[in-house]
Amino acid sequence: MHAADAQDCHVLVIGSGGAGVRAAIEAAAYGETILVTKTIAGKGGCTPMAEGGYNAVLREADSCGIHFEDTMKGGAWLNDPALVQALVTEAPKRIDDLIHWGAVFDFTDTDEVAQRPFGGQRFPRTCYAGDRTGHEMMTTLMEQLDSAEVTKLQEVTVIDLLKDGDHVNGALVLDERGHLVTLTADSTILATGGGTRVYDISTNSSSGTGDGYAIGFRAGAELIDMEMVQFHPTGAVYPYDARGRLVTEAVRGEGGILKNNLGERFMTQYDPERMELSTRDVVARAIATEIAQGRGTPHGGVWLDVTHLPRAQIESRLPVMLEQFLKFGVDIREQPMEVAPTAHHIMGGLRITTECRTTLPSLFACGEVSGGVHGANRLGGNALAETQVFGKRAGEFAGNAKKRTKKVDAAQVNDHQQLLRRYLAGSESPAQVRKSLQLAMWQGVNIFRKDSELRHARTIIEQLSQASLRAQTAQNLAECCIVRNMCDTASLICRSALLRLESRGAHMRVDVQQKWDAQHSPFSHTYISRKREGIESAGGSI
Amino acid sequence: MRAITFNVFRFDPASGAPSRLVPYTVNVNEGARVLHVLHAIHDELDPTLSYRYCCGSGQCGSCAVRVNGEPALACMEEAQDGMTILPLNLPVKKDLVVDLLPKLEQIASLQPKEALVMPTKADIDAIKPLRDCIECLSCVSVCPAMDVTKFIGPTAMRQEQRLALDPRNASDRIPVAIEEGLFFCTTCQACLKVCPKKIETPGKAIEKLRSLANQRGFTLPRHQEVATLVRETGRSVPRSEPTFLEQVGDVVEPIGTPKATVGFFVGCMYNMRLPKTALDAIEVLKRNGIRVIIPKEQVCCGSPLIRTGQLSFVDTLKKRNIDTFRFRKIDTVMTMCAGCGSTLKNDYKTPFAVMDISEVLTKYGIEPPARLPVTATYHDPCHLMRGQGIKDQPRELIRQVVDLVEMPSICCGSGGGVRSGNPDEAAALGARRGAEIKKTNADVVISSCPFCEFHIAGHTEKPVKNITTVLLEGYKEKDRKAGVEPERSVKGK
Repeated sequence: MHAADAQDCHVLVIGSGGAGVRAAIEAAAYGETILVTKTIAGKGGCTPMAEGGYNAVLREADSCGIHFEDTMKGGAWLNDPALVQALVTEAPKRIDDLIHWGAVFDFTDTDEVAQRPFGGQRFPRTCYAGDRTGHEMMTTLMEQLDSAEVTKLQEVTVIDLLKDGDHVNGALVLDERGHLVTLTADSTILATGGGTRVYDISTNSSSGTGDGYAIGFRAGAELIDMEMVQFHPTGAVYPYDARGRLVTEAVRGEGGILKNNLGERFMTQYDPERMELSTRDVVARAIATEIAQGRGTPHGGVWLDVTHLPRAQIESRLPVMLEQFLKFGVDIREQPMEVAPTAHHIMGGLRITTECRTTLPSLFACGEVSGGVHGANRLGGNALAETQVFGKRAGEFAGNAKKRTKKVDAAQVNDHQQLLRRYLAGSESPAQVRKSLQLAMWQGVNIFRKDSELRHARTIIEQLSQASLRAQTAQNLAECCIVRNMCDTASLICRSALLRLESRGAHMRVDVQQKWDAQHSPFSHTYISRKREGIESAGGSI
Repeated sequence: MRAITFNVFRFDPASGAPSRLVPYTVNVNEGARVLHVLHAIHDELDPTLSYRYCCGSGQCGSCAVRVNGEPALACMEEAQDGMTILPLNLPVKKDLVVDLLPKLEQIASLQPKEALVMPTKADIDAIKPLRDCIECLSCVSVCPAMDVTKFIGPTAMRQEQRLALDPRNASDRIPVAIEEGLFFCTTCQACLKVCPKKIETPGKAIEKLRSLANQRGFTLPRHQEVATLVRETGRSVPRSEPTFLEQVGDVVEPIGTPKATVGFFVGCMYNMRLPKTALDAIEVLKRNGIRVIIPKEQVCCGSPLIRTGQLSFVDTLKKRNIDTFRFRKIDTVMTMCAGCGSTLKNDYKTPFAVMDISEVLTKYGIEPPARLPVTATYHDPCHLMRGQGIKDQPRELIRQVVDLVEMPSICCGSGGGVRSGNPDEAAALGARRGAEIKKTNADVVISSCPFCEFHIAGHTEKPVKNITTVLLEGYKEKDRKAGVEPERSVKGK
C-alpha cells in the first residue's frame, strides 16, 4: 500500500442517503469530515426514491404525544421509547432546517406546509413534495453538503471497518479501480441505509444491499430486531424485470382503494376501521392473502385504483406515479394499478443510544442501518424524519468526540488483501450467488414464516456464504464484497426470525400459537452479534 | 422470455485499446427495459461491462445512456431488439459510465439567509416546475452552446432561475447567470427534448432569467436595438427593399377550386429580408388549391423579444396580431417562419389554429412536381422540429422533388438572439453545421426557417433554399417539359 492510499479525518461518514448527508453537514462543523459513498452522492440510497412524505407535528391540533403513541402502536410496542421520543420531538425542527435550506415542500392555500394522511396515524401529519418528497429533501441536502467543508469520495466501496482493539478507527475501502485504501477517523458513522435487496422482490435501489449491517456485525457491533422486515403492501408487478418498484402509500393517502379480482374492496375483511390506511404490516398480509387464495390479478397482484379521484389531483399529487405507470403502458387516471407486497425496509439494525452510539466505541449509526426507532413495523413517513433527526444527532455526537491517535492494524489490512486475492482467483459468479440468495430469502423468510422454512433458508444462506466468489477484474472486487454483505445480512435476518417465537408487527410466525397481543408480549428485542444471540424479555432482562 | 440483441459501446481508457461496439444477445422478460438487458449481459455474458444505475425507477438520474443515438434513462426505456447503446456524449470513464461530477459540481447551491423568510404558496408553485431535475445530465450532453462557448449548461441555468425565484436565497443570481453564459443559449430546445422530466429550461428558466436581467438593464446592446426597432416600426428588421406585404394583394386566389383558406402570417424575415422566398411560397400554395388571406396590419410576432427576455412590448404585439386575424374570421393561420410558428403555437393563446406551411401542404396534398436532378440535404430548424414537433412533413415534400440525404439535426447557431448578440458563437455553430453539410456531398441545402437559411448560407458553399423555392423549381421544370408558359404574376385581386 502507498501513502497516497490512506486518508485521515475527524469524522468519516459512510453512506450518502438522507441520514449520511445530514450527518456529514452536521459533523463538518466539528472538524475534517469525509463522506464516502459507493454511488454518486445524492443519487444512491433510498432517500431520493422515497415518495410519500415526512412525518412532523406542525399543527396545534396535533401533538408529539399523539405522534409518539401512533409510532409505538404502529411498531407493536417493540420500539425503543427514548428513540421514538427523540424522533417525534425533533422531526419538526429538522424539517425547519430543510425549509431554511430551500426545500420545496407543497404548501396549503394559507401558505403553510401541507400535510396528508398516512397509514396508522390519527392526524394527517405527513409533509410532502408531490410524490417526490425524498428527492426534494436529497436535492436540498446536497446543496448544503456542497456548501459545507466535506470531502466526498464517490463511487468508492467500504468493505470493512478498521479496528484497533474494540475501537473503530475508520474503514477499508475499494476505489473505483479496485485498489484498497484506508480511511482513518476519530469517529465513524454508518449511514449505509437498508438491505432489502437481499430479497428477490424489493423496492430498494441498487445500494440497498445491507452493507452496514454486515460490516457492523463483522466488526463486532450488536444488532437488534433484524427479523423485522417491512413488506410494503404496494409494489409494482409489471414489467417483470422491474417488479417490486415502489407504489407510494401516498396513492392510498390520496384516496386510492384496493380491490381483488372479484372487484371486492377486501380491506373490509381485514381492518374495517382503517381500511386502506391501516398499518403496512396489516395491508401487506391482506394483499398476500387475497393473492394466495386465488383472488389476484392477471400479473399476480391486486388492483389499486385512483380512477375515481379528480384527474388534477392525480397529476399534482402523484406525478411520479403517473409518469412511471404511463411509461409502462398504464394511465392511472383511467386504469387501476396492479400491486403486490415488496420487501421495503428493515426496522432492525445496529443497536444505538439516543446519541447514535453503537455498542462499539467510536462507531455511530443513523438511519435505516440502525434499529429500535420503528419497532416491529414502521409508519409511512417516519423513515424520512428518522434520517434527519438521527443524521443530525450522529453528526453532532461523532463530531464532539476527541481527536485520537489511530493505529491501522497491519494484520487486518493483510487479511483483506488476501480476501481480495481469493476473489480474483475465485470460481463462482457473484451474480448467480446473489440471485440464489434473493430467491431463498423470498421463499423462506417472507411475510408468513415458519420454523422449517426459516431453517431451510438458513442452510441455503450458509452454503452460499461459502461460495468461492470470482472477480473477473479488480473492478469486480466491490461486487464480490457486496454479495458477501448480502449473504451476511440475509443470515442476520433469518437467524433473528428463528429467535422470535411470536407474531408481532411485520414478523408473522404462522407456526406459533400465542396467547398475548403485542402490548403484552413477554418478549422485547432480539439481539445478535458475533458474541451472542437471543431475545430479551419484556422487562429488558435477557 | 424473448431474445434481444444489443450493440453496446465498450471502452476502457486504461487499456489503450480503441472503443468498439460489441453485439450481445440475451433473454429477458416481456416489457424489459434497457437496464434489464444490460443486467443480463453483465450477469450472464460479461461481468466486465460497466454501466451506472441506482434506483431503477427513473428518480435518481444515474443510468442515462444514448439509445439509438438519443439520450434516455436505461431503467425506463423499453428494450427493443437491435438497439445500439452508447454512453452519453460526455467524457467516458469506462464503457457506458461517463464522468458526471465536474458538471454536477457546477450546479449552484442555495445560500440561506440568516433568518428564515418563509416562501408563499405562490413562490412554491413557481419554483416547483424547475425542481424535478434528477441531474442525469442528458441535457448537458446535447447542448450545442456548451460545445463552442463557456455556457455553463441547461440544468445549471435551471438551478439559477430556481434560486432567483426563492425568497430564502441570499445571493444575487442575475449577474452570476450572465457570467455563466445566460446569453449563449440559442433556445434550440435540445435540452427539453431529451429531459426525462420534461423540464422547460429554455422557456421557464433561460428566457425568464433574461427577462429578470432585462429589468436590471443587462440586456445585450444589440438586442436592445432590435427591441427599439420593434417598438418604433412593429418590425424586427429595417426596411431596405420592397417588402413581401407591399408586393401582394390582400387575398391570393388559387388556381382551380380552393381546397382550403388560410391566413398568412409572414414574419419579419420573410417579409423584409427574404421576400422572394415568401413569393415562391405563394406560387406553390396557388398551384395547390390553397386560398391565402394576407392581412397587412400584421406585425412582428414578438419572438426576438421573448427569446431575449424583453417582454414589456410583447403583449401589445400579441393583441395586434390576434385581432388582425380574428377580425377577418380566419380559423387557420399559416406560418412559414419556424420561429414565428413556434411563438404563435407556444407563446400565444390564439383563437385560431396555427399551422406551418409544410403541415398545410401535406394535409391537403400537392401536385407532384418534376424531379430535379440534384441531391439535397435538409436542415431541421430547431423551432420547427423541437418547437413544433414537425420533422416528417418537410421531408415528405422534399422527397417528391429531389433525392434527400440526411445529416444530424443540430442547431445552426442563429437562434435565441445569438446571431446578433454573440456572433462568434453563431459563427462557430454555423461552421459545425457547414462541416456536416459538406459530409453529405449534397448539391443543395434545404431548410424552412429564414434565420437558419440566412445564417447557414454564410457557412456553406452550397446554395441554401427554402422548401417552397425548391418545389417551385420542380413545378417550373414540369411546365418547361410540358411546354407551358410560366405565369408571372403573383399579385392577388
